[in-house]
Amino acid sequence: MPVIKKAESVLRKGRSGSAVNQGPDVWAKATGKAVYGTDLHFPGMLYGKVLRSPHPHARIKGIDTAGAYAVPGVRSVLTAGDIRNKSYGIVVEDEQPLAHNRVRYIGDEVAAVVAVDEDSASKALEAIKVEYEPLPAVFDPAEALLDEAVQIHDSCPGNIAWERDMERGEPERAFAGADLVVENSFSIPSVHPTYLEPIACVAVSDYMDNLTIHTALQSPDVVREIIAGALDLPLSKVRIIGPVMGGGFGGRVYGNLKLYLLSSLLSMHTGSPVKMRLTREEEFTVGRPMIAARMKVRMALRRDGTFLARESDIITDNGAYSAQAPWVSKTLSERNDSVYRIPNIKTRARLAYTNKVPTAQYRAYGNQAANFAYESLIDQAAEKLGLDPLQLRLKNCTHSGDVTVHGLDIKSCALSECLQKAAEKVGWNNRKEGCGYGISAGIHASGSLVANKDFRGASARAVLELDGRVTIYTGEQEYGQGAYGAFVQIAARTLGLEPQLLTIYCRDSLVTPHSQGALANRQTTIGGRAIQLAAEDLKILIEEAASEMTGEPVKMKGGSLAAASGKLIRFEEVARYHHHRTSGLTLTGEGRYVPPHTDYDETSYGNISVTYSFAAHAAEVEVDRETGALTVHRIVAIHDSGHIINPPGARGQIYGGVTQGLGFGCYEGYVFDRGKVANSSLADYRIPTALDVPRIDCHFIETDDPEGPFGAKGLGEVVQVPVPGAIANAVADAIGVRVTNLPITAEKIYRAMFKGECAE
Amino acid sequence: MSYTVVSNLDQAVEALAKSAGKARVVAGATDLFLGNLPSELVDISTVPDLLGINRDPDCLSVGAGVTHAGAAASPVIRLKAEALAEACREVGSPQVRNISTLGGNVVNAAPAADAAVALVALGAKAVLLDLSGGHREVAVEDLYANYNLSVVDSSSEILLRFLLAPAVRGEGSAFLRFAPREALSLPLVNAAARVRLKGNTIEAIRAVIAPVSPAPTRLNETEKLLLGSKPGQDTWRRVEYTAAAEVDVRGSMLRCSAEYRHHLVGVLARRVIRKALERALDSKEGGDGR
Amino acid sequence: MKEQVIAFELNGETVEAYTDPALSLLHLLRSRFNLLGTKEGCGRGECGACTVLVDGRAVNSCLVPAGKVQGRKVYTIEGVTAEGLSRGAKVHPLQEAFVESGAVQCGFCTPGMIMSTYALLNDNSSPSPEEVKEAISGNLCRCSGYKQIEEAILEAAQRLKAQDWQDRNTGKT
Repeated sequence: MPVIKKAESVLRKGRSGSAVNQGPDVWAKATGKAVYGTDLHFPGMLYGKVLRSPHPHARIKGIDTAGAYAVPGVRSVLTAGDIRNKSYGIVVEDEQPLAHNRVRYIGDEVAAVVAVDEDSASKALEAIKVEYEPLPAVFDPAEALLDEAVQIHDSCPGNIAWERDMERGEPERAFAGADLVVENSFSIPSVHPTYLEPIACVAVSDYMDNLTIHTALQSPDVVREIIAGALDLPLSKVRIIGPVMGGGFGGRVYGNLKLYLLSSLLSMHTGSPVKMRLTREEEFTVGRPMIAARMKVRMALRRDGTFLARESDIITDNGAYSAQAPWVSKTLSERNDSVYRIPNIKTRARLAYTNKVPTAQYRAYGNQAANFAYESLIDQAAEKLGLDPLQLRLKNCTHSGDVTVHGLDIKSCALSECLQKAAEKVGWNNRKEGCGYGISAGIHASGSLVANKDFRGASARAVLELDGRVTIYTGEQEYGQGAYGAFVQIAARTLGLEPQLLTIYCRDSLVTPHSQGALANRQTTIGGRAIQLAAEDLKILIEEAASEMTGEPVKMKGGSLAAASGKLIRFEEVARYHHHRTSGLTLTGEGRYVPPHTDYDETSYGNISVTYSFAAHAAEVEVDRETGALTVHRIVAIHDSGHIINPPGARGQIYGGVTQGLGFGCYEGYVFDRGKVANSSLADYRIPTALDVPRIDCHFIETDDPEGPFGAKGLGEVVQVPVPGAIANAVADAIGVRVTNLPITAEKIYRAMFKGECAE
Repeated sequence: MSYTVVSNLDQAVEALAKSAGKARVVAGATDLFLGNLPSELVDISTVPDLLGINRDPDCLSVGAGVTHAGAAASPVIRLKAEALAEACREVGSPQVRNISTLGGNVVNAAPAADAAVALVALGAKAVLLDLSGGHREVAVEDLYANYNLSVVDSSSEILLRFLLAPAVRGEGSAFLRFAPREALSLPLVNAAARVRLKGNTIEAIRAVIAPVSPAPTRLNETEKLLLGSKPGQDTWRRVEYTAAAEVDVRGSMLRCSAEYRHHLVGVLARRVIRKALERALDSKEGGDGR
Repeated sequence: MKEQVIAFELNGETVEAYTDPALSLLHLLRSRFNLLGTKEGCGRGECGACTVLVDGRAVNSCLVPAGKVQGRKVYTIEGVTAEGLSRGAKVHPLQEAFVESGAVQCGFCTPGMIMSTYALLNDNSSPSPEEVKEAISGNLCRCSGYKQIEEAILEAAQRLKAQDWQDRNTGKT
């Protein structure tokens, strides 16, 4: 049983020390020299733009592109009829590069043009005439599920993109025998990851069918396969090179496949590099937000607070095309069940197509949305039972050694300690006058199998360069979130080398190993482990080669190579020795890591990840009793992410993730007006500014996880999970009434206080 | 588009006159790209006549070209027209405040424009110059033709400066803003007030709320209620009802419902008047050399 | 589209551009002068990623028409970098403080943040934490939650004072 290594955090304020921990581009970023997608320029480059449907649902009766060709500077115009237009998709193959005879949301891609500059491309779009026959449209997912609703995809009757009925234990019996049943309905809108750099790409194709797409992606290898498939190109001819990434947060896992496909097609048709980018407005109207959800939930408890059962009826909003919404719906509908020991679960989840912007994922994959609902309900139960919400959670929370109701095998867990620490730090028993306090607990997988059951692990290569330095090749992606630093630390520690001697290479699919990418919180645990194994393998190879070279046993320790006789050997020497004897090869260690004991059955029961991270957050808030205006004074974030490899990076993740959670809970959410995104600008879709962020106190409780590299577990996604729930509970504590739909705005608080309105 | 930066008023007038209605003056230009581009622009942002903040015993003059940042930082404005300094501090973001001007704020005619709300509460008048060299003075609240449409014709008139009475002992002003975020936000409701006390009685009061109509709007009934009174607890409650009742509000899908906005009008009107009153009281006690 | 000559000072150097004055300063810098450090996050003055200094004041370059910079002094992140180099340092102390405080994650907001910081510290060499927050309130960051950026700015203030680093190139009026 793993032991909690330290009860206190290893966080230190101040310097990250050397910049080597922060990725190769950090100085370039600070000096304005980092090259992002929009900064790319190639000789002969053209600019592409997309013509989009103004209707949420319509038949295309005809497209006349003659006018576009007449615009000076235009080089190509494409409609569905000009291309192969194969169906593709991440989970469901319900999309094509261009709309064939039907458009399904406002923004659906109808035609693409490319020209010598953006202005000419825009003029070309204006000159294209499309004849539409509007069809009835459905915007509400519950309505979309009704029999009489218009069918959005012929292949998906009932507008169901995905559904699941799941039962564990005997929930009916548990509810029947419960001392208390509480229930409520919650609603969570779609939110956009709102990375600061809008998506951009440059597609470069040549006459030999080679295609290189320059774009920043969290999962470039998966995108590569989809593109090769959709364009009927051999996979080995498709290459993705990543420029610097201006934020991802799940939004760049598969990015905007349309944009990559259309720019590729335009490049293939013109033989020139083609740059395409989304404007900020397009990011909000056709970029992919996370699914919206409506949750009807109820819980059964014993009088002493023991959780007996939980039942949920969940409808998630897919939008017009599916992307990875089914996976997000899956996580949303099950992940939180493992935060506590709940023996009986019944969940019905349905993902409905609607004529709105297609949805995908955001950091934490719906976990934070469901967490808000479930943690709110727990507080409701606490109130009814007259129990302290903290004690109620401590009584039921998951512990090390548990196998949860869905089969998650918990090998390290300090959730109980996290809850206690969160309460202590926020002043749970020492409350300020006029303030409300709330707490929330969360779990996230460290590399879950949600995305691809058959590809669970990661691989890496570690190469000893001729100059004695080491390069690590990994398919994992760094985008400023600290993965680079973690990987450097892992490799450095394994090899006993100074971090400055290491380089991590990750952005070129031609060169780097295949990876599922930066999602499912997998990079540190799974990607990191593969790097550790590759480094270990390299160490052995170096020792072997050195031994052969010197004729005596050589050991690598503490950053040096020492022969049994005591003679020190330089790494460059060994590298060159091997280089010469093989006529040009370098010593290359390989690491393969497949998380053991991870699998799930057809009911989704099983250990879906090699390890799990936990967190408890507490919020201290104040509500203006007259206006409902909410001030969040403090958020305390306590995390169990195993051993923290890169403390300053971890700190950055907490501040960033908690701030995103604040946005999710209090500011953000799509507003639709008959299918049109009404708040399609950063003025109307509001993320927190520096003046909105409360004081954030963070601490780590380090556990020694048996699987993670040096005991590390993921942090990147769980950081956001408990925030909205903690804030919602604090607000309810402050005003005595509960707001059940996000974001928690002043007006909603006002309505809750003065009108007793709970939802909508 | 042609863009001319002029360095004095004569050049500006000449450029407008020559263009026969096609040219418009512009200062900060922060709203330029958000609408239709005119074919000719005359940039008056560096004309010295428009940049002064001058104080006479009876008159505080603030150039229309003074930026929001400049007004917020000006010691004279902070002391003598506190509501204006407060309003200017809250606009948008530092970047926007550094370049957008008070004149632009008023002529752009956004119903809830912060500086405009404060100017109306302070009783400011705008001085306008026409192409024949003539001047006229118009109360700021009379410069609104309709929503987002100014009475000022930027192709033939230049707003030169704002004139207002500087605060004296026994006077106070205040500005309050209610917005969904602490920066980079349009307000849901803006409120401003100017109060003069004689003894403990309100001798003069101007209370303004926005956006409830095209222009920042005086709360006439609320002012009447308070004029000549020594406000107590009950009065403040009535102020809230009266203020909310005397205006029409619109709801918006993205901002807030009409009902909530109505409620905010009442609360903010009460709070801002109270704040102005407290400042008026403080100014009587304090020897701040007014 | 009528082009005109716009003469101004860019990063300390007198330059001329022959351009449509309606082109935004942001696009002028990026496409005409090939200075790609200033970023476009929204194009509407709502994110601050495009912040540059005009006559020493932080402004959103996406909202400034090129015509407006006639006769003015424009300063960008490239100018700050050059300033560092010209003093024999690798980078400007501001940039160093940002990197060393862990304030640079994806980096897209960084140039804008640094320009806002530069303007702040020119005006106020010892800002309070509140003043620091205020100074970057128009610069959105999605990665960091702002905390390490604020620490970087306070750290930078110390370093600039300690090194008695005088800024001559901003042309603040």
